[in-house]
Amino acid sequence: MKTRRRWGNAFLVALIYVVTLAFLFPVLYLALTAFRPPKDVFSVLGAGLSFSFANFRDALGWQGVRITEAFVNSAIIATTSTVLSLVVTLPSGFMLARYRNRLARSWFFVIYIVRTIPYISWLLPLFLLSQRFGFHDTYTGIIAAQAAFHITFYSWIFKGFFEGTSKELEEAALVDGCARWGAFVRISVPLAIPGIMAAGILGWIWGWNELLLVLFLTSDHIPMYSKTISTFITEMGVEWGRMAATGVMAMLPAVIVTAFCHRYIVAGLGGLHRR
Amino acid sequence: MSTVPGVPPVAGGHAARVAPGRVTVRPRTRRALSWLDRDTPFQYQLILLPALVMLLFEILPIVHGIVISFTSFTIWNPEGGFAGFRNYVRVLENPLFYRYALPNTFIFLGLAVGIEVSLGLGVAVLINRRFPGQRIVKTLLILPLLVAPVVAGLMFYWMFHAEFGLVNQLLASLGLPGVLWFNRPATAFGVIILADVWTWTPWFILIIYAGLQSLPPEPFEAARIDGAGPWSTFRLITVPLLYPVLSIVVLIRSFDAFRVFDIVWTMTGGGPGNATETFGTFVYRIGYLTVNWSEGAAAAMVGAVMIMVVGILVYGTFARVVWGKQES
Repeated sequence: MKTRRRWGNAFLVALIYVVTLAFLFPVLYLALTAFRPPKDVFSVLGAGLSFSFANFRDALGWQGVRITEAFVNSAIIATTSTVLSLVVTLPSGFMLARYRNRLARSWFFVIYIVRTIPYISWLLPLFLLSQRFGFHDTYTGIIAAQAAFHITFYSWIFKGFFEGTSKELEEAALVDGCARWGAFVRISVPLAIPGIMAAGILGWIWGWNELLLVLFLTSDHIPMYSKTISTFITEMGVEWGRMAATGVMAMLPAVIVTAFCHRYIVAGLGGLHRR
Repeated sequence: MSTVPGVPPVAGGHAARVAPGRVTVRPRTRRALSWLDRDTPFQYQLILLPALVMLLFEILPIVHGIVISFTSFTIWNPEGGFAGFRNYVRVLENPLFYRYALPNTFIFLGLAVGIEVSLGLGVAVLINRRFPGQRIVKTLLILPLLVAPVVAGLMFYWMFHAEFGLVNQLLASLGLPGVLWFNRPATAFGVIILADVWTWTPWFILIIYAGLQSLPPEPFEAARIDGAGPWSTFRLITVPLLYPVLSIVVLIRSFDAFRVFDIVWTMTGGGPGNATETFGTFVYRIGYLTVNWSEGAAAAMVGAVMIMVVGILVYGTFARVVWGKQES
């Protein structure tokens, strides 16, 4: 009886490892492709121990693709829009966490509805507006739109985090003569820093990964890597070495965050997710 | 926006105030409520900026979209002019929309979310035990969630590449003929769903796992004492207790699956033919690529209205779980 149980347990643990490996496999396979010498790209498994960085070098120096510029742009835009959105949305999450009255309920409902509408429904008209008012293909346009886009997700996350922080300290600060905003900025926000980190990291990654917004609001002036990759299969069909190398570089932030910040991610997703 | 029609009372205390049927409120509770229920100026200050940004970049564009969906605004006719419901009729009569885009979107939504939640629940239950390497496994499972959908699309396209893809190479080594995965509607659709399942199952695993961790131990002990087996414990105790979490993840993910775009666009571009056209790729094609702005806007609004109706219908469930969790 006991041995049977132990074997059953060992089987389940082995199953866990198999599942985990299955989830890692596509990433490993793309990475293996990228690190093969260009001549071995089409026989990824049969190339033994020959590795090289040639694909990465080729990808970064790719004529007409502007991949380095695209990565830099994606990073700049993800960073600024994340910071902007954090600052703008913190009070909103605080409001949702601390109040249960009619305004709080209405705001919660508005966020929910805006969040559920497919965002292509406002991206197409936003694109038309951006052309009319001259913010199409500008940093301002894409950063502001990206930041606006995070508001719903951040509000939910921050609601969860502020509900977990102590209300008593805020009340004590108010009694001591702190103004409401003073108490919020000096007491509540510092207490929620782990939540801000979690939301910031996730928001940055999703900003970095964003495609549809980039397709609508940018053009030749601001190349971004997600748009470049989305055209690979139709336009670059045979350059699999460089394409894999670009994909691996695009995954680098995800790998770094997984390795070093996974606790924040789990905490952030606990407060309900994305876009 | 002080009152929102159709919002069910979510937290217990408000039920007394909102629903006219219930009037048995004790005086003390009522006094406490009246303080909590008053909208304060501070609240308005808190949401002023986010509301403004949302108004400018999300609500205003939608209103603009509604307006131009009733005009004939295209690149050739920038003056527009009132068109009535003509754009809507044209969208609804377009076979690309009702034969491909809409059915595909719902089939995708049903299959992808169904597989993801089942797999997510299974793996979450599986890793909810002590085993060597637990921390590493939980960490590694996050990775697919953070990888860009465009990169996931690239990855899966590469594995299923007709000529050089790993899958066909493996089939060949087994002596089987290769499959032109992206040339057939069913297999192309299958690879798209596989890539989506790969990306989003970890999200289900993580959230359901967190839900499992927060369940009270007593029902499980009682079940063990009563001699319930693992399957009946799972079916009769774990799943019912997890129901709130499960309903929320399925809801949120379904709304997201409806707007699937990145993976489809990267891998098939809606092809072969129109076989993998979805709502997102359809609007992008009509409204942006073929510059039929008004028609694209009309299509976008059709989708938005459909989702809004569903969204309002399920708001009660959503609010009860997310809102009602903490009473203050």
